Amino acid sequence: MGNAPSGFGGQRPGGRPPGDQKDKKEQKKKWEPPLPTSVGKRKKKKGPDAASKLPAVYPTTRCRLKLLKMERIQDYLLMEEEFIQNQERLKPESTREEKNEEDRTKVDDLRGSPMAVGTLEEIIDDDHAIISTASGPEFYVSIMSFVDKDLLEPGCQVLLHHKNQAVIGVLQDDADPMVSVMKLDKAPTESYADIGGLEQQIQEIKESVELPLTHPELYEEMGIKPPKGVILYGVPGTGKTLLAKAVANQTSATFLRVVGSELIQKYLGDGPKLVRELFRVAEEHAPSIVFIDEIDAIGTKRYDSTSGGEREIQRTMLELLNQLDGFDTRGDVKVIMATNKIESLDPALIRPGRIDRKIEFPLPDIKTKRHIFKLHTSRMNLAEDVDLEEFVTTKDDLSGADIKAVCTEAGLLALRERRMRVTKADFTSAREKVLYRKNEGTPEGLYL
Amino acid sequence: MPEPTKSTISVTAQDPKKKKPEEKPEEAVKDGASKKKDEEKEGEELSEEDLQLKTELEMLIERLRVCCFAQPALETLRTLIRTSTSSMTSVPKPLKFLHPHYPGLQELYETWPVSDNKSLFADILSVLAMTYSDTQPRGTLRYRLLSAALSPSKQLSKPGSWGHEYVRHLAAELGEEYNSREFDEEGEEKTSEENRVPGTVDDLRTLAIECATFLLQHNAEPDAVDLLEELEIVDRIVDIVDENTYERVCQYMIRCVNLLPPPDDISFLRTAHRIYAKHNKFPQALSLSIRLGDSELIRKDFNAPANPSMKKQLAFILARAQVPKEWLDPEDGMDDGESELPEDFLECLSNARLSAQFKEFGKELSVLEPKSLEDVYKSHLENTRSTAAANVDSAKANLAGTFVNAFVNAGFGNDKLMAKAEEGNSWVYKNKDHGMLSAAASLGLSLLWDTDDGLSQVDKYTYSSEEYIKAGALLATGILNCGIRTEADAAIALLSEHVENKSVPLKTSAIMGLGLAYAGAQREDVMALLLPFVADDGVSMEIASLASLALGFIFVGSGNGDVASTILQTLMERDDKQLDEKWARFMVLGLALLYLGLQDGSDATIATLRAIEHQISQTAVVLVDMCSFAGTGNVLKVQELLHYCDEHIDKTPKEKKDEDEKKNDKDATPEEPPKDDTFQAFAVIGIALVAMGEEIGSEMSLRQFNHLMHYGEPTIRKVVPLALGLVSASNPQLPIMDTLSKYSHDNDLQVALNAIFAMGLLGAGTNNARLAQMLRQLAGYYYKEPDCLFMVRIAQGLVHMGKGTITINPFFSDRTIMSRTAVAGLLATLTAFTDAKAFILDKYHWMLYFLVPAMYPRFLMTLDEELNNIAVTVRVGQAVDVVGQAGKPRTISGFQTHSTPVRLGTTERAELATEEYIPFAHVLEGFVILQKNPGWEKEDKMDI
Repeated sequence: MGNAPSGFGGQRPGGRPPGDQKDKKEQKKKWEPPLPTSVGKRKKKKGPDAASKLPAVYPTTRCRLKLLKMERIQDYLLMEEEFIQNQERLKPESTREEKNEEDRTKVDDLRGSPMAVGTLEEIIDDDHAIISTASGPEFYVSIMSFVDKDLLEPGCQVLLHHKNQAVIGVLQDDADPMVSVMKLDKAPTESYADIGGLEQQIQEIKESVELPLTHPELYEEMGIKPPKGVILYGVPGTGKTLLAKAVANQTSATFLRVVGSELIQKYLGDGPKLVRELFRVAEEHAPSIVFIDEIDAIGTKRYDSTSGGEREIQRTMLELLNQLDGFDTRGDVKVIMATNKIESLDPALIRPGRIDRKIEFPLPDIKTKRHIFKLHTSRMNLAEDVDLEEFVTTKDDLSGADIKAVCTEAGLLALRERRMRVTKADFTSAREKVLYRKNEGTPEGLYL
Repeated sequence: MPEPTKSTISVTAQDPKKKKPEEKPEEAVKDGASKKKDEEKEGEELSEEDLQLKTELEMLIERLRVCCFAQPALETLRTLIRTSTSSMTSVPKPLKFLHPHYPGLQELYETWPVSDNKSLFADILSVLAMTYSDTQPRGTLRYRLLSAALSPSKQLSKPGSWGHEYVRHLAAELGEEYNSREFDEEGEEKTSEENRVPGTVDDLRTLAIECATFLLQHNAEPDAVDLLEELEIVDRIVDIVDENTYERVCQYMIRCVNLLPPPDDISFLRTAHRIYAKHNKFPQALSLSIRLGDSELIRKDFNAPANPSMKKQLAFILARAQVPKEWLDPEDGMDDGESELPEDFLECLSNARLSAQFKEFGKELSVLEPKSLEDVYKSHLENTRSTAAANVDSAKANLAGTFVNAFVNAGFGNDKLMAKAEEGNSWVYKNKDHGMLSAAASLGLSLLWDTDDGLSQVDKYTYSSEEYIKAGALLATGILNCGIRTEADAAIALLSEHVENKSVPLKTSAIMGLGLAYAGAQREDVMALLLPFVADDGVSMEIASLASLALGFIFVGSGNGDVASTILQTLMERDDKQLDEKWARFMVLGLALLYLGLQDGSDATIATLRAIEHQISQTAVVLVDMCSFAGTGNVLKVQELLHYCDEHIDKTPKEKKDEDEKKNDKDATPEEPPKDDTFQAFAVIGIALVAMGEEIGSEMSLRQFNHLMHYGEPTIRKVVPLALGLVSASNPQLPIMDTLSKYSHDNDLQVALNAIFAMGLLGAGTNNARLAQMLRQLAGYYYKEPDCLFMVRIAQGLVHMGKGTITINPFFSDRTIMSRTAVAGLLATLTAFTDAKAFILDKYHWMLYFLVPAMYPRFLMTLDEELNNIAVTVRVGQAVDVVGQAGKPRTISGFQTHSTPVRLGTTERAELATEEYIPFAHVLEGFVILQKNPGWEKEDKMDI
């Protein structure tokens, strides 16, 4: 194809002698539009490229048939390896090196130098495209046959020949730098063991986020689609972010984390673009988990607003809706969201299909409280008289974060007096302090 | 064994948090599974009910040690374990708590006397052993069998009562145990006495059957099949499947067949066949017997149903598979009045309606109008640089026109150049010499399958004074009878006299005409006619080889001893000079076709062939071998064939390359004339032939071809495109298309030529627009190369074959059955292309008609029980592989709804869109007889 002479179809003036009348009449209407090209479509990059891709294996349930098919693929690969080894032995690469070298120089000649950089605007057919250059004008140019057409996609940077502007190479750009920031390269240290209680919640998040990535066949066997994502909600300080950290710690999947407010950008259209990029990166690195903290920053209910900023935020959310369950299917991308105010979220955001599981984080009960106290005091030197049970059994509305605050405060009080042990008195005053701060502004008993 | 008991108990009994730091190192020593659980346990505080359960369990264990409480304790234990529910991510609570006590319980168990209680105890231990599967392999199985052996009353609870996970576990251990026993039989006994699993192999098998029954009841058909397969008793599944499960079991088994090593695949097919036969699914059973190629089974299946419509449907299936009619005749001696089948059965069986139905189909699709050459070429869309270039070689162009016209209008019998040409203005006279032969023969293709009208039309050319026209007419007679059996048996009547003719063209045409007309028919009388030419030393290689090929067509896949021995004899007796001729490959191909699909049936022949001294023997061995395993996907064969291609044969021994290290390569006789490398060419085709039966293999083979193209010598390189065409005939996949397009611009014209032809094969009968466009570009590119241009034209004709209604893909019935005649046809054509210069581009272009046996309409015609066409709505879409998936997923995706008759692509599948009718056939393809759905209240035997 690439070597075929270029030109237009159907432009052959007087090509056919006017034979019989019928033939001529037919010829007029018989102009066929050029076929759509197979290259240049924005395609999902999944794994290795088509040439070296291995056939997909069905069924995905565990059974002998799958094993046999896998083995068959392996057999073929082994044969391939054997064949290549034999060939390399009989006819080493070095003998062909010369020819390759020759070819390479020829290509280099064709490429010429210097080269210019342009942007690919549109692909017309298999070997023609419209490009724009930095200086402004757009050109209709040909694509050299040695360019890897799989890499071409609208909007990408291409190398251009210095004279005839033909496309002679592709510059591969990377994702938005904003997105790469979101990628987590160091796993947090918190693990499931650091979470007090929340057994139910841990199990649910494991089932809906971790298992689909590690054991997809379980869901296949059952004949259901694994949940796409979960939302964690509950009053502040109940461990939503902690749990997400534990997930990140545990999983080997790519973990992308972003805060809802990060998605609000200065310029129009940047927010949705960031969301798109985020999910594109997630898919490229699949399997992956996207964690969006404080989703209420962008996910509030839609209402008529005259403020441009408000509308932009809503549009960002709409993009998020589309990414979660839109036209394109997402592969192994799971979404975890966290919020304090689930009631203020847009119902479309948390409908089943987008977010399949809603996990509530309640205030800890007595047992959990005890556990949390134990977790936080395990490294502290406690005086003999400290009886944690006393604090555990009080009827205060203490969240996990409050308990941590109490422990820290008690430690600070002891530190102030340069004691090596934390006494009961420290704990008591710490608790009062924390509770006071917590209820600050709302005078106690006013409305009772 | 490490003893994790103590530490775990202490952790839970006391405050876990404080002990944590000291615990850590100890835990690390423990084995992985228990470690994880311990960690979980430590991480959480035991809730009240958990604690209660734990103490209760501990108490029960204590009680076990006291004899009198043993039984109630066991009962309670059992109930506790059974009623516990678990989540996906964790172990059931009772098992978790009992885990540390397992070793203690094991000891306790040994001290007990034999009793009912001990059996119960063993049962419980068997469940507990699941948690110890990594340190004490096969404990579950061991205690299960012990429990079975101990129970005097044989009132053992079923394995299923312990839940699904237990059965799965047991099934896995059964397989392991069986394998290790097999292994031990070969080697010495080495399993330690203590952990030995009691019981004989029979016990294992009985247990396996029990497990399989449970699995079948719980929608785990693949598991059941796998288990029985592992214990090598897959045939016993017949008795335990019921009408709800058999379909899924059979589909799973059939899907496995191509991937199993040789003895298993046959036994799977036979088992599946037995299941179908037991459940009265005649079409399914019949298609399996066709796959097995077992005449006995085919006859039995055909005679099984009483319903005449069902029988007619079976007749259609047999006709599609070109099964010889003689196979259905009852065994000699026991025939009474009913040996003769009624008229309408014969009609179905002999494909007599094919022509009429095909024309009807063309009418429905409004493609009945003949297409002219220009309609196909669309040269106004080509981008030729100069208008003057057109007149390069008009003889070649006319010849190409002959073939394009024939292929495009095949079967409709109304093309403008030949069939409906005005008197004396026939296209025949626009050709010269051997061109006339092909032109006259093209009439046969145009009138394909039309035995009544066709013969009379061809007849007038048989009286022509021109020898070539006469010869062409003979070939045409053969072509139009291809795949059709008639009462009149016109082909043999008309052709037999010319077989003896002195003139070589007449003779060869008559021979090949017979070969094509009776392809797959296994007719003894034709054998008598042709065999003398093979045996006779006096006739030229050309005639002997073609006679041998014709016999190969007729007896394809039969393993006929007479033919085989005669050809072998000839190969041994002929002079070396004669065997060096280009024709020899066809003789060998004739021999190879006899063994098509017979797998090991060709061993003796191969051994004999190896004894032949001439180089041809290697080609012959490759051909026979690859044909025997055609479509099986056998990896070992592919490997073997790949090894043949390893060697670099130097065609020019006198050149300086001699010093090269290639010399070391087993070229034992340097002084010999250049070594024949045809066998490598066939080996490449062979890879495609073997791999094409199975999807994974055919996809993976593409990678092999890529490497062959990269490393291979010219001989190999030029057949790689052909192999690509074979692997995906009439199935234009984009990647293959792109690869071929690349090859079609190769520096080596031979490669380019074959690539262009392969593009034709790839898109044969699909009207694929992208291919058509590529070919038009090629026509412009090669406008100065008459040979290439000729091939481009042919490829264009192939792409529009039958105006997009005919396929040459050799697989039918949902791509499960390989049509042997079709493969024979394709192979013969490809063989002609292994040396295109000597055959196709020389005066033997008529060899393109070898494709005829592979041609078949790709339609779905629906008939009522009186065999009249009826229109029903069907959905047509891409076939989806749903084997082994849960539930009832759709079998087609992206479907469109049409009204029959419809055209089906190679990878497409159809299903009825209405419930008004019930089809008799299991696959909606070709002719399908429909029955009015009598309504739900009436009991119906052949439901969907």
